[in-house]
Amino acid sequence: MAENKARKRKMSGTGWTLGDEKGRKDMSACGCPGSQTIDRRMDGKEAETPTGKVASQLRQWPIQLHLIGPNAPYYQGADVLLTADCVAYAVGGYHPEYLKGKSIAIACPKLDEGQDVYEEKIRAWFDEAKINTLTVMIMEVPCCGGLSAIAQRALASARRKVPVKEIIVGLDGDIRQEEWLKA
Amino acid sequence: MAGEKEIAVGNMLNRPIKGLIDEYPQVGRILDEYGIGCVACSVGTCLLKDIVGIHNLAPEAEQKMMTLLAQVIHPDRDIRIPLRERKNAPAAPTYSPPIRKLVEEHNWIKRWAALIPAVLERADVATDEGRALLLAGVDFIRSYADKYHHAKEEDILFKYFDSDLDVVRVMLADHAAARAHVRAVVEGVERRDAATVREHLLAYADLLKEHIEKEDEILYPWMDRQLSDRQVGELYARFAALDEEFGETPRRQERFVQDLAAR
Repeated sequence: MAENKARKRKMSGTGWTLGDEKGRKDMSACGCPGSQTIDRRMDGKEAETPTGKVASQLRQWPIQLHLIGPNAPYYQGADVLLTADCVAYAVGGYHPEYLKGKSIAIACPKLDEGQDVYEEKIRAWFDEAKINTLTVMIMEVPCCGGLSAIAQRALASARRKVPVKEIIVGLDGDIRQEEWLKA
Repeated sequence: MAGEKEIAVGNMLNRPIKGLIDEYPQVGRILDEYGIGCVACSVGTCLLKDIVGIHNLAPEAEQKMMTLLAQVIHPDRDIRIPLRERKNAPAAPTYSPPIRKLVEEHNWIKRWAALIPAVLERADVATDEGRALLLAGVDFIRSYADKYHHAKEEDILFKYFDSDLDVVRVMLADHAAARAHVRAVVEGVERRDAATVREHLLAYADLLKEHIEKEDEILYPWMDRQLSDRQVGELYARFAALDEEFGETPRRQERFVQDLAAR
């Protein structure tokens, strides 16, 4: 399927063997924070775990930006959460605190191919699905900023403007920054 | 069970600010040092806890201020206020797009208010030209500041909040006082009464400068923190619809201020 092909990862050829000494050494030479090895197993902090089942707030399918139709009923007039792939694994309260009440799409601005389609789909959210707001939730690593850039280019080319918020998540799962961008 | 000190702090936080300042004038001075101007407030029914929450000081500054207040109100008790837990750390206000639109409109109103002393120097109420300039200024206030901008606040934004909130009531009282000054200016122009025009136009300028500062620095950031994303989107759409309804008129009014500043 064309969409699946577009989703193909660009991992091959990077030369990284994450977690080993060579990997760390080579990483510092490259300086890419998005691929930096971080091991928190021994930092002495035990994260609190909620008791009982945490309900999913997902109200739609599909969710990957290549697979979704921007005019699907769940996007009409919706508050949309465009999330970088890694975010939901980093933020403990992602479902109740951020996804609840919103429609979603996910993407990786570093590894996904065919990203010109992303810009066109996001523009269609603004102009055709007439979404209410867009929240772009990304990791703090520089490559993730590409997703915000795509959203802002889509907004600039859209006829209809809506408020766009950017939430930046730290590698420790804490929220580094949350602010509305210029509409 | 809450201890004696916790009860004392709880009681302090739940008291209306005017009563606290009347009883302990030092409270007003401490608040003033932290940029909280409750002493001058004409209403003063806000509870101390709401005032502290709305101003969203840096955690350490808030802790120090609250400790100072506790020492004034309860000098016999060694009360140390802990850091208050909060969802987001305070920062310089970054407004949501609809609120930013209101702040941009404030900038035009502030520019007009700053020009008022120069306009009064130049506009002779005894001449047709002078009266025309004064009435053009009144038209800016009524069409832009009041009908266009205050209508967005009163008819749309404030409706998302409890109308009994003291902070909203204070803002509405400011709007009413501004309208009264403008009525007095128009009457002064009609009677060729330069002293009345001067008195009320300067009072309007002072009132608006203070009012806008309160909204930009305290009210709007607080409202932004309360609004959900859905409400922000709705507000943006409703403001955009209103802008379309007003057409080019607000832009014409902005050009009036721009031209006046360039003269």
